[in-house]
Amino acid sequence: MKWSIRGLFPYVFPLIFVVALFFALRMGSLPPADFTFSNGTEPQTIDPAKSTGAPEGRIINAIFEGLYRNMPDPDDPNNMIPMPAMAKSHDVSDDLKTYTFHMRDGAKWTNGEPVTAYDWDFSWMRFLHPESGTQYGYQLWYIKNAKRYTTGDIHEGDRVEVELADRKDRAQMFPRGTMVSGILKKVNTYPEGAAKSDDAGHGGHGEGESTYKIYTVDCVPEKDGKPDWDGKTTERVFYQSGTPQVYLDKHPGAEEAMHVLLHFSEVGIKAPDEKTLVIELESPTPYFLELASFYPMHAINRTCVETFGYPDWTKPENIVTCGPYQIQERRIRDRIRLKKNPTYWGADDVKLETIDALAVQSNTTQLNMFMSGQMEWATDIPNPVLDDLKEMDKEKKKEPGRENESDDLLIAPMLSTYFYRVNTNRPPLDNPKVRQALNLAINKQEIVDFVTRGGQIPAGSLVPPGITGYEGPPTESYDPERARALLKEALGGKKMRPIQILYNTSEGHKSIAEVIQQQWKQNLHIDVQLRNVEWGVYLTTVREMDYDVARAGWIGDYPDPNTFLDMFVTGGENNETGWSNKKYDGLIESARSEADPEKRFAMLREAEEILVDEMPILPIYFYVSINMVRPYVKNFYPNLQDLHPLHILEIDEEQREKIREWEGLE
Amino acid sequence: MDSLTKHDPYADALPPIEKYQAMYNEAKSIRGISLWQDAWRRLRRDWVSMTALSFLVLLALAAIFTPLFPLQSPREQDLANRLALPPEFHSTTKRANADGEKETVPVSLKLKHLEGEEFDRRVSELWTDPTGFDKLLLNTRLLIFGDYCLPSLCGTDLLGRDLLSRLFYGARVSLIVGLVATLVSLIIGVSYGAIAGYSGGMVDDFMMRVVDIMYSVPFIFLVLFLITILSEDDVKQWLESYGISRIVILYIVIGAVYWLTMARVVRGQIISLKNEQFVDAARTVGASGLRIVFLHLVPNVMSIVIVYLTLTIPAVMLFEAFLSFLGLGVEAPAVSWGVLAEEGLKVITPVKIYWWLVVFPALALASTLYSLNFLGDGLRDALDPRMKNR
Amino acid sequence: MIYFLAKRLMWLVITLWVVFTISFFLMWTVSPEGALLSERQLPEAIKRNLEEYYDLDKPLLTRYFKTMGNYLMFNPGPSMKLIDKSVFEIVSEGLPISISLGLLGLSFAMLIGFSTGIISALRRQSLIDVSFRMIATLGIAIPNFVLAGFAIIIFVFGLNLFPAAGWGRPINLVLPSLCLSAPFAAYISRLTRTGMLEVLGQDYIRTAYAKGLMPTTVVLKHAFRGAILPVVSFLGPATAGILTGSLVLERIFFIPGLGSHFIEAVQQKDHPVSLAVVMIYTFLLFSMNTLVDLSYGLIDPRVKLDK
Repeated sequence: MKWSIRGLFPYVFPLIFVVALFFALRMGSLPPADFTFSNGTEPQTIDPAKSTGAPEGRIINAIFEGLYRNMPDPDDPNNMIPMPAMAKSHDVSDDLKTYTFHMRDGAKWTNGEPVTAYDWDFSWMRFLHPESGTQYGYQLWYIKNAKRYTTGDIHEGDRVEVELADRKDRAQMFPRGTMVSGILKKVNTYPEGAAKSDDAGHGGHGEGESTYKIYTVDCVPEKDGKPDWDGKTTERVFYQSGTPQVYLDKHPGAEEAMHVLLHFSEVGIKAPDEKTLVIELESPTPYFLELASFYPMHAINRTCVETFGYPDWTKPENIVTCGPYQIQERRIRDRIRLKKNPTYWGADDVKLETIDALAVQSNTTQLNMFMSGQMEWATDIPNPVLDDLKEMDKEKKKEPGRENESDDLLIAPMLSTYFYRVNTNRPPLDNPKVRQALNLAINKQEIVDFVTRGGQIPAGSLVPPGITGYEGPPTESYDPERARALLKEALGGKKMRPIQILYNTSEGHKSIAEVIQQQWKQNLHIDVQLRNVEWGVYLTTVREMDYDVARAGWIGDYPDPNTFLDMFVTGGENNETGWSNKKYDGLIESARSEADPEKRFAMLREAEEILVDEMPILPIYFYVSINMVRPYVKNFYPNLQDLHPLHILEIDEEQREKIREWEGLE
Repeated sequence: MDSLTKHDPYADALPPIEKYQAMYNEAKSIRGISLWQDAWRRLRRDWVSMTALSFLVLLALAAIFTPLFPLQSPREQDLANRLALPPEFHSTTKRANADGEKETVPVSLKLKHLEGEEFDRRVSELWTDPTGFDKLLLNTRLLIFGDYCLPSLCGTDLLGRDLLSRLFYGARVSLIVGLVATLVSLIIGVSYGAIAGYSGGMVDDFMMRVVDIMYSVPFIFLVLFLITILSEDDVKQWLESYGISRIVILYIVIGAVYWLTMARVVRGQIISLKNEQFVDAARTVGASGLRIVFLHLVPNVMSIVIVYLTLTIPAVMLFEAFLSFLGLGVEAPAVSWGVLAEEGLKVITPVKIYWWLVVFPALALASTLYSLNFLGDGLRDALDPRMKNR
Repeated sequence: MIYFLAKRLMWLVITLWVVFTISFFLMWTVSPEGALLSERQLPEAIKRNLEEYYDLDKPLLTRYFKTMGNYLMFNPGPSMKLIDKSVFEIVSEGLPISISLGLLGLSFAMLIGFSTGIISALRRQSLIDVSFRMIATLGIAIPNFVLAGFAIIIFVFGLNLFPAAGWGRPINLVLPSLCLSAPFAAYISRLTRTGMLEVLGQDYIRTAYAKGLMPTTVVLKHAFRGAILPVVSFLGPATAGILTGSLVLERIFFIPGLGSHFIEAVQQKDHPVSLAVVMIYTFLLFSMNTLVDLSYGLIDPRVKLDK
């Protein structure tokens, strides 16, 4: 026995090899897709309501569709405009506060159900519901009462909805428990004497200190599936799950409820019939169509969500979608394979049958894969080679037959700003002159020329150029002499304490921080430390304002200065600099309800002037979008928002063959 | 001997003192060759090991006395004029002259005509607050070489900093991490192994079981985890209030990973030694257990420990490089070879290869690890008791 | 043998428990929020619901026992970052990839290591021997990621032999597993050489030659089997090394293995995933060490498995 095992031993090694090979190839390789692109990090989710970033956006835009969709303007393809999608048209009321969308006929979900206005009623309710964990929730807060619905802000006399705790599965939001409607009569807050907060939804105040609420509601009966507000009322008492027994003892007969929220019929989202969706806004919102095209606001299929529950409904085998593509396969941190959806209303115009979205993070790997012909579109290119890539584009045009080929490297301005936040609560940074000095001592031209190298534009202010009809205030450029003078004036000759630049871990941010570190040291003789933290930590640190100067970037959600400027109103959730200016707040506020676009822009410009004057932020540069796309990919247009709808892309097979031959790719 | 003669009550019953004296003198005249001398003799004959050893000694000296060399600043960037230059033998930059025109001048420190506060400021610009020892060396360098700097023999990096100088300053960090972390592993491993081996029985069983368990712990993963956690700000600040910086944590954590094999090796040796007569002798005169272990036993296992040490240092240095690759190594403005190699690797693309950015750091790392490996092999042969007197 | 395995099993459970406990408390006490940090400030109501979903509202000790229970049922719960996926899904997609990469690397390492080691030993002090040894030391002295960088330049863009990155096709496997195998091939080569040299000088080899056996038969059948012992004992530590190595190479070659998931999870504070990966690696490492001890006993009759 023993000798036989010993004898077999050398054969174990080839066996291992065979097993390994078997395992490795068992994954199977998909046939190559028609089109492959790098999608940055692995998408966190494909649930529109929970999504947060551009990688998710690309996928969600491909598999779902909004009421409207940002598409290249037929007259000027480099300009994106919202075009009818699941809604075929819309009307706006005279006061600009009511939008009526008319749904497209014949649009279908992949399970055969028609796409209707009810889908939006449901999806936006889900989107706004506190249990959904929607991070973009505030985007729909332009709708009447939407914010109150999300935050659970209810008062005596409000119409409320109560969801009883009789769900089939408590962890699943859908199908929902029994819904009871009524009028809120009384709220008891425990522990008694706890901070009387206006919005009842704020459960925790500080750590470990929770307040609990017990609601007394005059419930109304239901008639034809709708609450009958004039019906006979019955008084019932509800408590939110998790309320300790001590407080419950004071309210015998209280019933457990999952949520007590403002009644959804109070929110300005109505679907009178399946073809009509009526949205009432808090105030005129000129960019509402852009919002309605924004991917987190895409509708999902109720049947699918209720059948499978979260997260199972997002699995490729379960998901029901309505967009131009369907998910065929999803491999974690590898790829999402999309295939054409034959039931899409515009399926005839969708050219590519299959698309691969690779989750490649490293930009060097992306470039390698692009250059070796493994992908057609790379979304993130290493800075140091940008000049060489431009050179390559020039070189290739000198070859015979390729004179008219478009560039591989596409660089376009983008609606996005790279800036440093300054903590205006910490002396001496609380002095505007110090901040001015810091700003003037940064040689932004040098940064864009030698570090970022993509043709970014040095920024003097916050709002990027390119928004039609808006022009920012004049700004000052690099002036070390004046910077020194300002600093001296502000500090009275005292030495500035060392300050710290906070940035989230990334090669690009590091280089820029290192350059600014040296520039401040040389120009202002300030000692600067660098502090690099992971993204999550970075966010908390900035939020808690535990920094001197922190790197930041802001991408405009829609082409309007407001998306940048309203960030810095007093106490704004993304202000995070501690800066506050009454006049600025006033201007932003009045711009919000101003209907005349010209006057509105004038107000915003005035506000930006204040910002430039006070410098709670140090603008560095305006981003450009940098994409590498093979010239045989048609209908790819660089634009301000860096949005590239996948379903209009097309591949010129003939040119593809030629280019692959020229480039020496197999 | 003296004490023996003085206090021996039976002196009369023994042979006369002169005889002892003679024996003693005779013993003294025999010059026994210790294991170390013997090993050194053999090592000296092995030219590969000697080359490796000399290289390492030179490297260590160079690292210690780096500020003495006429290198450019490892920190100062020159974006406009010296961005990503390949190796060159004559380094120039452009500077605005009195008329405001740009003129080409050789790279220099621009320190010569500065005095007082301005001088200090410029020094801290160039070298990030040097310590007292480094300042001394820097001043000596300024005396000897003035503003002169070596050209960028290894090219410049993507922010226009001199790579040669960064390599030298990186050597300091890399070598220190390698040495200190190994030392930590040495201290833990030797004491652990020695105590286990000397105690024997249940204690030994238990202690070695613990080591066995730890062999199965994926330390690399725990280390990654630990370093990410320890880099978190509040933890970092808390540690810094005790004077522990991130680099110290790096030493300790890496060292704590590499002690296992050391402990096993030392234990084996101690077990074979602990019944030798000199241990019994020490025990008879009433030496405590700890004293026996650390004063009598440990010195006797030093040879094998040293061999193992030369093999641990490369492993530790590679590990540091690995951490740098994941962005968890030393933090800017400090550099290590691992960080430099990683920076170079990032710009290896089919479009353009900044070859000097990856070749030189890799070369530095490889030649050091190469030498350590060869030296380790040589030492193992030299210290092999079977080779004695050959 | 049964006794040996039973005892090992007990130690496995203890090891897993210790690692689990330490990791669990470490991660949750230092960053109690986990990956629950978002770009925008969340309204309190939403935040509370999220915390409830991940049990963050419960005391640490309760969660410890609950998580332990979940682990016993092989259900480590949802991921905090890839919120559509459960930890189980992530791990079960990544693990086969990492294992096959590791095994391929190991096979290459043995193939290269054994053959060069034997040749070196037979042609002692020849040019071949010296150059093999130089190359072998190089494999130990150059960090994996630098090697991979050079390999990409040479084989992908210089010679156009392999694709730059990816996973799934046989051709994708070659470059990463070769890079992964380099340091281990070097070690194995050295160990084989030493072992062979020792064995070749022994009497039974001389006897075999004297019997007039073919030199290849002598070398491969008699000598090699004796020289393999130190290599087998090296396979235990090698496993740990290969796991680490694959961490780096998965990143460079864009391979969706467990290593990539781990690095991401650690950096994004996705504690459920990192905990699961640490547990799996502990298990792998322990089994590998046991296997090595076992096979040691099988190929060398002098070794008894009494401990």
